[in-house]
Order: sequence, then structure tokens, then C-alpha cells
Amino acid sequence: MLKLIPRPLRTLIVIALLAVVFILLADRVDEYRVYQGATIAAYVVAIISIVLLTGYSGQVSLGHGALMAVGGYSAALVVQNLHWPLWISFFVAVLGAAAVGAILGIAAARLSGPYLAGTTLAFAVGLPSIANRFTALGGEQGIGYDVGLPPARFGDSFTQYKWLFWICAAATLVAVGVAIHISRSRYGRIWRAVRADETAAALAGINVARSKVLVFTISAGFAGLAGALFSTTVFLVAPASFSLGLSFLILTGAVIGGVRSIYGAIIGAFVLIIIPIIAETLSSGASESVATNLPAVITGALLVLTVLLSPGGTAATFEHLTKAIRGKVRH
Amino acid sequence: MSRITRSPRLIAAVAAVAVAGLALATVPAQATLRNEVGVTSTSITFGITVPMSGIAAPGYNKLAPAAQGYLDYVNDNGGVNGRKVYLKVEDDRYAPATAVSKTNKLVLQDKVFGIAGALGTANHLAVLKSVNPGKRGVPDLFVNTGFSGFDDPKKYPTTFMILPSYVMEAKIMGKYLATKFPGKKIGLIYQDDDFGRNAKTGFAAAGTKFDVSKGYASGSQSAATFAGSQVKAMKDAGVDVVVMFGVTTATAAALGAARAIGYSGQWILGSVGGDATTLKALGVPAALLAGSIGASFVPSTSDDKDPYVVKFKEINDKYNKGKDKTFDNNVFTGMNLGYMLVAALRAAGPNPTRAGVVKALESKGASIAAPGLVPLGYSATSHAGYTGYWFGKYDTTGALIPDDGPGKYAVWVTDSGSGAVTASNFVRPAMPANAIPNN
Repeated sequence: MLKLIPRPLRTLIVIALLAVVFILLADRVDEYRVYQGATIAAYVVAIISIVLLTGYSGQVSLGHGALMAVGGYSAALVVQNLHWPLWISFFVAVLGAAAVGAILGIAAARLSGPYLAGTTLAFAVGLPSIANRFTALGGEQGIGYDVGLPPARFGDSFTQYKWLFWICAAATLVAVGVAIHISRSRYGRIWRAVRADETAAALAGINVARSKVLVFTISAGFAGLAGALFSTTVFLVAPASFSLGLSFLILTGAVIGGVRSIYGAIIGAFVLIIIPIIAETLSSGASESVATNLPAVITGALLVLTVLLSPGGTAATFEHLTKAIRGKVRH
Repeated sequence: MSRITRSPRLIAAVAAVAVAGLALATVPAQATLRNEVGVTSTSITFGITVPMSGIAAPGYNKLAPAAQGYLDYVNDNGGVNGRKVYLKVEDDRYAPATAVSKTNKLVLQDKVFGIAGALGTANHLAVLKSVNPGKRGVPDLFVNTGFSGFDDPKKYPTTFMILPSYVMEAKIMGKYLATKFPGKKIGLIYQDDDFGRNAKTGFAAAGTKFDVSKGYASGSQSAATFAGSQVKAMKDAGVDVVVMFGVTTATAAALGAARAIGYSGQWILGSVGGDATTLKALGVPAALLAGSIGASFVPSTSDDKDPYVVKFKEINDKYNKGKDKTFDNNVFTGMNLGYMLVAALRAAGPNPTRAGVVKALESKGASIAAPGLVPLGYSATSHAGYTGYWFGKYDTTGALIPDDGPGKYAVWVTDSGSGAVTASNFVRPAMPANAIPNN
């Protein structure tokens, strides 16, 4: 019966239902989970940017943490200096990062594999020091990015973090919807064609270079939004928030979740938050150096296992399982 | 319940499972006793966020184990009114985002009684904005940074400083320069952020005029590579005395550059960048540091006649479980944190509450017999910690020896506002028996 509803509408319904679930959830769990929920939302968008770039078009970026920084700073600057409303600052984050992404994408179109990875890596290493160059960017301390208090009509029990979660969850749901739409569009198909075989795609009349720049730009836009969302949870943007480690972390989340699946991004984001919790349970009572390094060890092990056992990530495994259960595995 | 079947069953089921899962995963309800958060009949737990790994870890990673060591020692001696005091340590890697998420974990999930000894100006500004301990009524005790903005009881009602502010330090340093080096050419190298600007405010208040003033951008990469040009500017201008108001990495780089280019002016190191063991860990030989002037508000860690140094050393040997427990300023600062936590809890009475601790520090905090050589500035309108400094010279082992000789501390005090810098007549109260607060 579900099949009778057109696909875009179905996506919309699912997203609306998810929103209702989230609102109900935020009322039922304790405040710390609500805060973690906001962080997960930011990670989901960050990982989607990787899924679009790497999963759909086959380009590798180790510099998406820096694009997140561009988004975060753009958003914070317009709120801080021009006092623009928060939701507009999200658009500014998307546009700002997309603009930088477009420039990076032009370079990316000429590069591939390790060369592209190297270029984006250099970008991630170099960019944070710009913040230290100009006083308008606040140096190491960064600049404030205040989401403001929840509207008074929600009452006293409506905490700051719940407000934060609502904002992040709403932005993330919109982003997921847009990403799904893009991936199913003509562009999604073009990118997949380029990823599969550049020569064949070019022979089919696809402008390979242009499609690469486009996907880089769009992916950067998502990274920019993720950067803004990520910054709302800290109430400031600072270079230290966008370390090199962040670029690798979201890449890891994408691979574990499933680099070719938008839904995989959601799984990946959850995994990134859950690993430190598991690590802490495991290392309670262990020495300080074990406790400090365990999260990285678990993340690394999961990454290796994923690549070895299920290169498509958790999402692909799920897909295979459901198909197997229905007895419909076609390949 | 039957209504639920009207919505898609699958999603309803998924939602139900998710809600149940998250609810189960949350911390079990607190003990039903009508106790304060973080307090049971046998224990009180604080939380601390410090860099235990990452670039800022060397030196700073000794603070928490030293504080825990001191608290273990107190716990072995009966605790505080029968309760053992614990300190839960979280690694913030010196990143604001991590400091916020770890503080959230301590406050919202672990439900600690209060935050203690939080480190780093940028980190803690982020924590105050996001976690907002003041609004939650969570004590935010003895913040381990000298940024004067944290002493603001109206804005941050539960936050208490412990270090003298950078404004105080600069004001006192200005007075010291005027007294000891009249007519000399004076230079300043400062970190160009809130920390350095806070110091410049102090120098301006003291009326100190610098012949050459050079900033460097904050941030570890630049700090490690900056030194050459600033130090060269001092040499070229023939500066006699250079004040270095920067972090330890920058200080190490500056001293190294001075040697490399053959600049032989007198260095005065701010307290933040002047920790000898951390400088040594960064590769500065003690001989290079020797002769530089430094400032401190606690006894010199080489002062083996000071009762606190003697006792803290003893406690350190027996109780510190840290990887590196070489007795230095960081260890002393950690022990001082543990000591002050115990004193604050005692001041709040036999059944401490969060509000009670804040109130007690405001009313009785200034009279705590503390290890520092300068007065504490706590009152209902001021949450300033220690309020002064003494000066000394580093010897060839890296120990800071007071100008008037070992054990002879000439202490100067002031405030973060327009108050004068005066020689202090403060007499530190006698150390309580066994270095355990008895207030």
C-alpha cells in the first residue's frame, strides 16, 4: 500500500514522523542524552557531506573538518557582527563553505586519489592558523556563537539543550531530505556514473570535470552546515574545535556507517558518539593511559573490521540482511 | 494504546524500542536520600577537565593526579566530616568543544557535586556559555586560569578563581619593573588574545610604558615557530629587560631564539609560561633558564623549610598515582586544589550543599588557612582567588629563588581593578596539623 504514495512524498512522511519521534524522545530522556542528540545531529550532516563526495562521486577528502570550520565561522560572524537570525546563519554557513568548496573542487577536478587526499589534507592543516592571523576571527579563543534561550512560552522546564537539540535535529532532517533528493536526482546518477568509470561517463556525454566540481561544492555546503551545527553545541567557533582529527573522525564515521548510504550517515554518527561510552565502560578501573587511548583503538579496530568484512559499511550489511531475509538477494 | 495502530506500525515499534533503549541507557535514579547531587552518606564527588593527552598535556597532565593524591590522603585520614572526597577526571585535550562535552558528561551524566580546577581560558569560557554552571547552581570551583573575567559573581555566580588574575600579575610586574629597573629600556612579548590583552590592561593600569611591544598570535603551531622576529626586535632596539607574557611553548621558543641570536637581555617570565619543569620537558636546558626572573604566589617548590612543601612532597611520594610525579609547580598546584576543595567543603558544614559551598566561600573563603603566600580575595562581591605575587630568579637547577634569598618572600598584592600595588603585610596562617584544613 505504501508503494501507492509517490517516492518524494514518502520520504517527506518518514522525515515528518522522525521529527515527531525526536520531539517525543527529547522529552523522555535525560538532559545529557539530549545534548548528545544535538551532537549526533551535527555529525549526521558532516558524514552526509562525505557520503555525497566519496560514496557517490568517488573523491576522497581529508579536509572536510576545515570546510566545517568555514561554515562555523561564516555563521558565527554574521550572528555576532550583523546580528542576523540563527536560521539565516545556517544558510550563510552552507553558502560560505560551498564557495570555498567550489574553489577547492576546481583543484580537485584535476586531481585524484592520493593527490587529492594530500591537497585537502594540507587545506585542513593550514586553515585553522588563519583564525590566528586576524583578530576579527578571535584567535585561539574563537568567537561566540549563541543560539539564544528557548522561547519563553515553552516554560522553565524546557532546557537550553533541548532547544539546541530541536534546532540541530530540524536542520539535520532538512539536510537528510535534501541529500536523499539529490542522490536520487539526475546529478546523483551522473556522479555514480563518474565514480564507476570516468571514461565511460565522458563517452556518455557527461562533463566529468564539471560534475566533480559540483559534487565538491555541494558536499562542502553540507560540511558548512555541519560546522555551524557543531558550533552551536559549544556556543563558539574556535580553531581547536576543527582539528585534523575531526576530518578523520567523520571519514571514519562514514566508512563504518556505510559510505554509499545517506542512512549509513545516521548509523555512523551514532557509532561515533557510542564508542567513547563503550570505551569508558570497558576501561573503568584501567590505567589512565589505557583509558585515554581506548576510544581511538576501538574506532581503529572497527574501521579495519568494516573495511575487511563489510566494505559497504553497516548500512550495506543491513540491506543485504533484509534482502536475504526476504529471499530476494539478486547478486 | 489501540490508537497507536493507526500510525505506521513499524515506525511506532522502532520509536518504542528507541525510547526504551535510551531510557535504559540513562543513569539510574540518584539515591533516594534527600541528599545534594554528588553527595552520598559516604562520599562527595567533584569533576575536573584537564588536558591528559594532546599538545597541552605536558605539565598540565600532572594537576589532576596530584589533586587526587591529596584527596586520597585526606580520605585515609577520615575524609571530610566522614565522607570521602573523589575527583573524577576527564581529558579535554585542551579543546573547547571537548571541554564542553566532557563537562556536560560530568555535570549531567555523572552528576558530580561540582566542577573543580577547570583549565584554559578559551575552554572555560565555552563551558560557562554552554554548560552554564551558574544557572544550574553547580559550583565551579578554583578555575585554573588567570583570566580576570571569571571573577564576576553577577554573571557567573558559582565560579571561583584560584590563580591571581593576569591583570594583577601585570600590575605587580609593572611595579616591580619601576622599582628594580628604573631608566632601563623595557620590552614586552605577549600572546595576542584575551590572555595577553588581560595582561596589557594590567600594565596600562600600572602605568608601565614599553619601549618595544611585540605580540604573537595564539595557537600552538605559531607559538613554536614565532620567536625569532620578536626576540630580534628586542635585540635590535637594545632592550635591557624583556617581559615574556606567553604560554610555555612560546616562552621556550623565545629563550631558544635569544640564545641562537646572541641576545643577552634580562628576561622576566610570566607565571603561565614560567614553569621550570615544563620548560625543561620542552627542551630548554636549566642553564638557559638560569638568571631569568619569574613570579609565583605559592612557596618555591625547592623551599624545604616551607611546611606545605615538606608535607605535600611527602603526600606526593606516597599517594600520587600519576605517571610523572616529579614534585614541581604543577604538582603543588594540584595539591593546592585538593586542599582548597577540602577547605571549601568544611566551610559549608557537616552536610554540604551546592548553594552552601558557594555561600561559605563568599563568607568565609578569605579566612581559609591556605598554602599560598598571598591573601585570598573571596567575598560576596569578589570571586578572585589569590591576589598577589613574589619575584625571584631561576637558579641553575630551574628552582625559583626569591630575590631576598631562599624562604624570604617579598609579596606584593593588588586587585584586578584600579587598586594600588602594595607590599603585602599578609602573614600566612600556620599550616593546620598534617596539612589538612581544620576550618
